[in-house]
Amino acid sequence: MTRIEAEKRLKTIFGIEHFYDEQWKAVDKILRGERILMIERTGFGKSLCYQFPATQFSGITVIFSPLIALMRDQVHSLNEKGISAAYINSEQSQENNTLVIEKALKGEIKILYIAPERQENQEWIEATKNMNLSMIVIDEAHTISTWGHDFRPAFRRIINLVKLLPQNLPVLATTATATKRVQKDIEKQIGGRLTTIRGNLSRKNLYLQVIKVNSENEKMIWLASNLKNLYGTGLIYTGTRVNTEVYAQWLQYCGIDAIDYNAGYDADTRKEVEKGLMENRWKCIVSTNALGMGIDKPDIRFVIHTQIPASPIHYYQEIGRAGRDGLPTRIILFFNENKDKEDGVPVDYSLPYSFIESSRPGIKKYERVTDLLKQEPLSEREIMKKANLKQNQIRVIKADLVDQGIIKEVQYGTKQKMYEYQYKANELDVSKFEELRKAKIKDLDAMVGYVYTDMPRMEYLCKFLDSDENSLYTNCDNTNMEKLKVEYDEGISTKLEAFRDSYFPKLKLADYKRESSIGLKIRMPYPNIIDVLRNNKVVGTYINKINYSEFSQNEGCVLSDLFDKYLHSASRLTDGYAASYYGVSNIGAALHRSKYEGGGDFPDFLLKKTLSVFGKKYKDIKFDLILYVPPTHSGDLVKNFAIKFANTIKVPISHSLIKTRETEEQKIFQNSYSKKDNVKDAFTIDSELVRGKTILLIDDIYDSGTTLKEIGKTLTKKGAEWIVPIVIAKTVGGTL
Amino acid sequence: MDCSNSNSKNSRRYIMTNQELTYWVTLALMPKIWNRRKNEIYVKCFEHDPQISVIDLFEDKSCWDELLLTDEEKELFSAAYEQLPNNSFMVEDMLSQGYDILPIHCDEYPRILKKNLGKAAPTVIFTKGNKELLNEPSIAIVGSRNADKISLQFTDNVAKHVSASNGVVVSGFAKGVDRLALDSALDSGGKSIIVLPQGIMTFASGFRQYYKYIIQGHLLIMSSFAPKAPWSKEFAMARNPIIYGMASHIYVAQSDDKGGTWSGVIDGLRKNRTIYVRWPETGEKNANGQLIQKGAMPVDINGNIIKLDAENLKTEEQKEIEILNDKILKILSSVELCSSKDILIRLDIDWSDAKMKRFLETIPQVKKNKIKNRVYYSLKNGQSKNLTLNFE
Repeated sequence: MTRIEAEKRLKTIFGIEHFYDEQWKAVDKILRGERILMIERTGFGKSLCYQFPATQFSGITVIFSPLIALMRDQVHSLNEKGISAAYINSEQSQENNTLVIEKALKGEIKILYIAPERQENQEWIEATKNMNLSMIVIDEAHTISTWGHDFRPAFRRIINLVKLLPQNLPVLATTATATKRVQKDIEKQIGGRLTTIRGNLSRKNLYLQVIKVNSENEKMIWLASNLKNLYGTGLIYTGTRVNTEVYAQWLQYCGIDAIDYNAGYDADTRKEVEKGLMENRWKCIVSTNALGMGIDKPDIRFVIHTQIPASPIHYYQEIGRAGRDGLPTRIILFFNENKDKEDGVPVDYSLPYSFIESSRPGIKKYERVTDLLKQEPLSEREIMKKANLKQNQIRVIKADLVDQGIIKEVQYGTKQKMYEYQYKANELDVSKFEELRKAKIKDLDAMVGYVYTDMPRMEYLCKFLDSDENSLYTNCDNTNMEKLKVEYDEGISTKLEAFRDSYFPKLKLADYKRESSIGLKIRMPYPNIIDVLRNNKVVGTYINKINYSEFSQNEGCVLSDLFDKYLHSASRLTDGYAASYYGVSNIGAALHRSKYEGGGDFPDFLLKKTLSVFGKKYKDIKFDLILYVPPTHSGDLVKNFAIKFANTIKVPISHSLIKTRETEEQKIFQNSYSKKDNVKDAFTIDSELVRGKTILLIDDIYDSGTTLKEIGKTLTKKGAEWIVPIVIAKTVGGTL
Repeated sequence: MDCSNSNSKNSRRYIMTNQELTYWVTLALMPKIWNRRKNEIYVKCFEHDPQISVIDLFEDKSCWDELLLTDEEKELFSAAYEQLPNNSFMVEDMLSQGYDILPIHCDEYPRILKKNLGKAAPTVIFTKGNKELLNEPSIAIVGSRNADKISLQFTDNVAKHVSASNGVVVSGFAKGVDRLALDSALDSGGKSIIVLPQGIMTFASGFRQYYKYIIQGHLLIMSSFAPKAPWSKEFAMARNPIIYGMASHIYVAQSDDKGGTWSGVIDGLRKNRTIYVRWPETGEKNANGQLIQKGAMPVDINGNIIKLDAENLKTEEQKEIEILNDKILKILSSVELCSSKDILIRLDIDWSDAKMKRFLETIPQVKKNKIKNRVYYSLKNGQSKNLTLNFE
């Protein structure tokens, strides 16, 4: 096909007049059945390079993409152009995924987006037997390189697939962020006759600034006083999930329209926030870097990082999501230079550094897994239980062992996946881990280098990406822009203190009943309060009784049925609060001292802090009884704490909630399955004591919530009216 | 056929890329062409100067005429070409699950299978486990599903004996002899190959059951069928020649006078293979004796070769017949011509005339003479009384 002919068709189908030269170069080669690696900046128009050829091929084009949001956007816009496109991913229901596969088999889909994890799904693999495949695309191809900034184990299989594809099947790999090293790695992995097209990566419309601070508070103060003055809407990236919540709450506290988002939220919540982002519903979304990748929003006007990312590539990638329309966009990075007293390292260096250090479990844990697999094939869950490992640890170990060919994931029957040790498997090669760790630390150091460089900041990033460009770099605080500083503001400081005093982590524990066919769900998060949720979004909150007239007749019937079921069979445990997070305050240290270092009873400031939650959140509940979680082995810490608590709020306390059998400390179990087994049916109390009562249930540390849920179940069975939990601290992260 | 062969045109050692596997599997799974023909086509590619790779065979249609493909075959190759992307997904799935795919030209492909089956050998075999076993000295113990106790004892003995001398026991994983041969070998620390009558990806329960042996390298599972094809009777039959083909020596525990074991041995004997058959005890109702007569090597309960003289080899019936033969020849040598009735009288046996006539026809040394309307018998010219037996 000639360029003229192609552009004629381009105009008809996409309403675009011309290809850029680099686009045409790629399209031309793809139409000839060649393999291409495209390294082009965000907003360049990489997707057109496969979307156009896809419309010209007789069969289906499959795009492996790790970005669910991107799939949604692109499918939507393709369908609007009358091109049949669909996606398969974990966010969509099983039925819908199956439906898409059926359509693809019938040849009714031209462009199919699919999450790389699907390559492990048997339904998909079966379907590929009979699909008419015309082209394979690997989106975000840097994820196929272990040297890339976020290598995904699931992509390993995609690489293997590409190596097996017939010679003349076109393959396109795209990325906006690849150093020469990553580029070479991708080239090697994809193999075959591969042409690499590399464009300029410089983004002139991004205005880059760095703010050096001396405390977390300073970041919060700057945001509170300056966010309103930034033009448009944008994103704030924090380093941890907890901080998304804390920062969003703080901004809301200051009257700024903010919402939090992180990968820990369920699919519906995430979808809703992503939708809101597109509609500019909030001034800013506070998120981990999970949000925004692949979102096709042209006008994200600012991106602020409260923490440095792991490398300049991460940073380039994350800020690259902003300003796709080419208009001026503010990019700000905070860096807390304050040095920790113990190790003399800047506080903001420690967090990403510790991520690197803890990214791999100890070698003993790898051995534990291989030893088990030398005995019998096991599923992930079985390994988790038998080796007593956290799910995220197991996943890392599994991925590494598969990568080194020591174990393989094998389909047993249609449903089950088991891991098999391999005959003549090599010993685990730890040197690879070490090499990778060193590389990551080097990258992190380069990120800190960005903070202190006096080079034009975009030049610094492009240099890091090995992009040799002949351009004049401006638009940063090392060239023509002002260097930002935090001004002390007495008013905001006081406000921040007040915020910190009144901010309490929530414990999501209330049971629910749902009717999945129409997405309705009810739960009672607080005594006598009923939440009605549609697709996990609260659509109504009622006291004692649902106002059915607010719903359609059909929904009303379903709700009345759900409510009935709830009253009969749900646990009467409500949501609860913690006085603080375990890891982010002196509370954690105090708990640790008492619990594990023989430091005696919990200090009074913990009582004070916990009473303050109680006062703020539960003052209108009339409690009949206080119970506390009985200790695992011995020790009266929680008991003594509960007694003091009961004396203060003048509610009777009972010591009769006891264990029917020995349990182990929950913290030694690394995953929820084992935790559940550990406490199942382990508690009892005389039903006379609890029947019809509203009970305050006290514990010291909340981790997975398994114990509280189990006690909630027991007390519900014994006839308790409500069980309202309160704890001193909630751990950060959770295990599952 | 063997690419690593040093006198082939490309004496350079050939390194196969994974991409080729997609093409090989596509070739192997092509319907409506026999293995023999597929292998022939590949041999032509291999011998072509310059060599045509399996990739070229599919990608470069211009070579098809040179390879003398028929029009029908060209159509089949075109259809198979469309399947390549699909098969690459399947191959990826197999490799990621630890299955190996061995095309006929690769070093790991069992040499013995090529030697025994020639061009009828499977174009590709699928395996899991220790591939080295494929090229180690191996024996197969075959026999019926409902083998007698003594046959099972024999199986156990031979399997253990072979294991003790580090040999590999090839098993078809059928009930009875096959399964016992496998288990005896593995239990005694020996090595085994299972030749599946089904696709290799449908054997999950077996993989679980024999897991330890597989990961210790004592067991290899192989199949030559489409990886996800379920068990079928046709596959079970088609698998038998592969079991025989995989073994350097074949031991027969017990055979009926028809069925898989029987036809396998007969086929093997026709190909001049040494086949050891357990010498049956008196009164055993099986066809072991017949196989020995047909040229199989008799062995005792421990699998040791029995040196038999000719007499030992004969059945009671045969011995009677030989005696009768002898007597008749003696009679005929004493006269010039003799009618069948006369012979009956002299032998004093209770046969009908017609039966004797038929019998006389079977004696090679006897000549039929028609004189007027009557038939007389005599010895053929030059026939002495030194008799040799010819079983054929």
